[in-house]
Amino acid sequence: MMIPFGHALSFAAALFVLGLTCVLLRRQVIMILIGVEIMLNAASLVFVSASAYWQQVDGQVFVILLMAITAAEVAVALAMVVYLWRRKRTLVADEFNGMSG
Amino acid sequence: MSESLLFLIPLLPLCCAVINMLFGMRLPRLFAEIMAVTGVAGAFLLTILFWGYAEGEGTRVVIFTWLNSGAVDVSFAMNFDRLAAPMTLMVTGVATLIHLYAVGYMHEENDYARFFGLLNLFVFAMLAIILADNLLVLFLGWEGVGLCSYGLIGFWYRKLENAKAGTKAFLVTRVGDVFLAIALLWLFAATGTLNISEINAQAASISPGVVIVLSLLLLLGACGKSAQLPLMTWLADAMAGPTPVSALIHAATMVTAGVYLLCRLFPLVSISTVGMTAITAIGALTALYAATCAMAQREIKRVLAYSTMSQVGYMFMAVGAGTVTGAMFHLLTHAFFKAVLFMAAGCVIHLAGDENDIYKMGGMARRGPVELFWVFLAGAVCLAGLPLTGGFFSKDGILLALFTHPDPTYRVFWLIGVLTALLTAFYTFRLVYLVFAGEWRGTGHPHAIPLQMRWPLWPLALLGLIGGMLNLPALVGGDEMLHHWYGDLAGRAVTASHSTEWMLIGFAVAIVALGWFAAHWRYRNYRPPVENRVSRFLLNGWQSDALVDCLLVRPFTAMARFCSSGCDRSLFDGTLEGLAKMATRYSALLVQLATGRATTYLSAFAWGFLVLLGWFLLKLVNGGGH
Amino acid sequence: MTTVLFYILGFIMLTATLLCITRRNPVHAVIYLVAGFFALALMFYLLGAPLAAAWQIIVYAGAIMVLFLFIIMMLGLAPQETPEGPGWRRWGPLVLLSASLMVCTVLLIMQDPAAGKEIGDFYLAPQAVGESLFGRYVLAVEMVSFQLLFATIGAYLLGRPLSKGEGQ
Repeated sequence: MMIPFGHALSFAAALFVLGLTCVLLRRQVIMILIGVEIMLNAASLVFVSASAYWQQVDGQVFVILLMAITAAEVAVALAMVVYLWRRKRTLVADEFNGMSG
Repeated sequence: MSESLLFLIPLLPLCCAVINMLFGMRLPRLFAEIMAVTGVAGAFLLTILFWGYAEGEGTRVVIFTWLNSGAVDVSFAMNFDRLAAPMTLMVTGVATLIHLYAVGYMHEENDYARFFGLLNLFVFAMLAIILADNLLVLFLGWEGVGLCSYGLIGFWYRKLENAKAGTKAFLVTRVGDVFLAIALLWLFAATGTLNISEINAQAASISPGVVIVLSLLLLLGACGKSAQLPLMTWLADAMAGPTPVSALIHAATMVTAGVYLLCRLFPLVSISTVGMTAITAIGALTALYAATCAMAQREIKRVLAYSTMSQVGYMFMAVGAGTVTGAMFHLLTHAFFKAVLFMAAGCVIHLAGDENDIYKMGGMARRGPVELFWVFLAGAVCLAGLPLTGGFFSKDGILLALFTHPDPTYRVFWLIGVLTALLTAFYTFRLVYLVFAGEWRGTGHPHAIPLQMRWPLWPLALLGLIGGMLNLPALVGGDEMLHHWYGDLAGRAVTASHSTEWMLIGFAVAIVALGWFAAHWRYRNYRPPVENRVSRFLLNGWQSDALVDCLLVRPFTAMARFCSSGCDRSLFDGTLEGLAKMATRYSALLVQLATGRATTYLSAFAWGFLVLLGWFLLKLVNGGGH
Repeated sequence: MTTVLFYILGFIMLTATLLCITRRNPVHAVIYLVAGFFALALMFYLLGAPLAAAWQIIVYAGAIMVLFLFIIMMLGLAPQETPEGPGWRRWGPLVLLSASLMVCTVLLIMQDPAAGKEIGDFYLAPQAVGESLFGRYVLAVEMVSFQLLFATIGAYLLGRPLSKGEGQ
């Protein structure tokens, strides 16, 4: 396989920026969480590419750990989404402005 | 008795004052009164006992060191010398009699502890002035008498005008005190010491220009305490205080403190002719001014207050003419007869049912105890300067000193003095006639006069009448005792040919007779007062209060208003409030950033991320890679 | 061949993600994302990580995304996420921001000397990854497992019925 390392990283960067755009653009909490997932996946891609580039096992190990942590994060985040929905009957992020100055 | 016990003289009144102030209300009333009188009487007796120490060069005692810091070495020193001793004797003696009188006068007053405490404290402060060997100690007493004067004028402070009179006296005398303080500091700068004897010894070595300024500053300081022009406005209002206070503080002792100060520093003051002329001029103008005012006053105590001012003016003239003997002689006789006049006036007011207006009195000679008339008359003839009374000899000595002064301008002052003597005779007999002659015109019911108010008058009246014995001129066979007692402190020896002296005496007698006849003609039979512009002008003391109000108070108020509303409120407060408002406004803008929305924060974070990346890029472009 | 396949998969992944983030209906978005993750899993495989690829499909596409779907369906979220919808003034600057970020990142990556070097053939058997995980990284595994335990407890606590005063 003859791919320059930079191209793999560029794909990851594009994926990351798309995730960030999702987080910034969307107002629903669910969509913001999805954006976060996309960004995490971009990070996974970087790990895997780096692992292949340097021919090392550690990158892949980190991907596995990352997935486990993501699972934990998603569990809490979605529980929170349910909680917020119960409280305010809305998931628009701007409605939760209790910390407004 | 050891000389180191001299400090007992001022200490006794001080102790009594402190005890009276701290525990007076818990002690039996009689005890408090007896203690107050005993404290002063004890000081009087001690003065007699210590009299021998005053002879010769006097006795100096350092009680303790007050301040000692580098060049400043101020010890609490006393100087019981020939100048201080007669004054001490007079102050303690008169104060003892007035304290006795006050026991009777204040016997219905509930707040006696405060009264006697302040009165005793006043005696202590006055003794501190007299006995001080150090100008700082003198200044302590100087401020002390001012404080007690303030507290006693406003003794019945529940009446607003009394409290205002006290405040006025305090503030006006304070103006003089400022000048005195400046003089003190300047003296220290010029001589390096505050010791009075050392300053007097070094006086000749101070440069003449400085001496002129110093003597003028001292004069202004003396003016404040002695109610001389231009700081005289407070004395007439000070009559709001109880009568014993008027007698003690505002007639016999405190107002003469200025004269005493000038006599104490006479070796310094007498160096500058300008200063001496200024002192004489101030004295002469005040004497005339106060005499004219006294002619139109309606309240008995205000007449006496203006007469006090006028007589103190005579003492200033004496100092200015260079004769300490003359000044001190008049000071002593004046203390006797003015105290008796005030105390008798207090009795008269009692008899008239707390009526002050002499036009609503009359017939007092038959209304009250007959001796009241005689003691008042004794004081009055002394004040008017009837021949052979104490007042006559002392005033005549001053006029002689003015007349014989080498500087011809003093003849003008002599003329003013003579004119004042005429006016004095006139207003004194006006007072006597209006109060004692004719029929009772008042409405009040007389109060009983306790015994303590009656008999202290006698010794004082007697002393006033025979006061001339103190310094009987050689012309009438006297030995000029006081002059010889003072010795080298006496100032210029007044010498004149016998014919001149006889002429002046004859002139004075004629003047008194003229004043008396004028008063007799005008007031022998009561006529209602005539209200016109001149009498109103004189009644208000030449509108001096309005003048002060115009010249000082109103510009000061205007300035204060400008500082308050113009500077403080608009400029400073405006600036500060403007800054605060600006901060609030811009912080409100900042607060808008804190929307509490996660999206806002996230985008801010993203923008920051962009900046960071951009900076990395810029660095790479500039640095050319790694 | 694999090289071309890698690029194709990459573009599929990006397209699917782009579609995902622009969907109004969250269900559609999740479906597109699952598609994108499948492509990503294949990319992992091409990069010599068969275990990561398998986990990507099983855990990400299979478990996490399905969890999302469950929640979306459970709450019955409406497709229209806001009444007014996104306006130009709101997302214009944000898209610009993202584009600039993209450009900056790619520029930063590309100027690195390593960016030009090619990734060689590489294949790592799942066994090697497992040995590394439970050998050298066993402590990390333990920590992550605790993390999962805490997350479970937290999710349970958050999922309880609301007590009084917590509601609207």
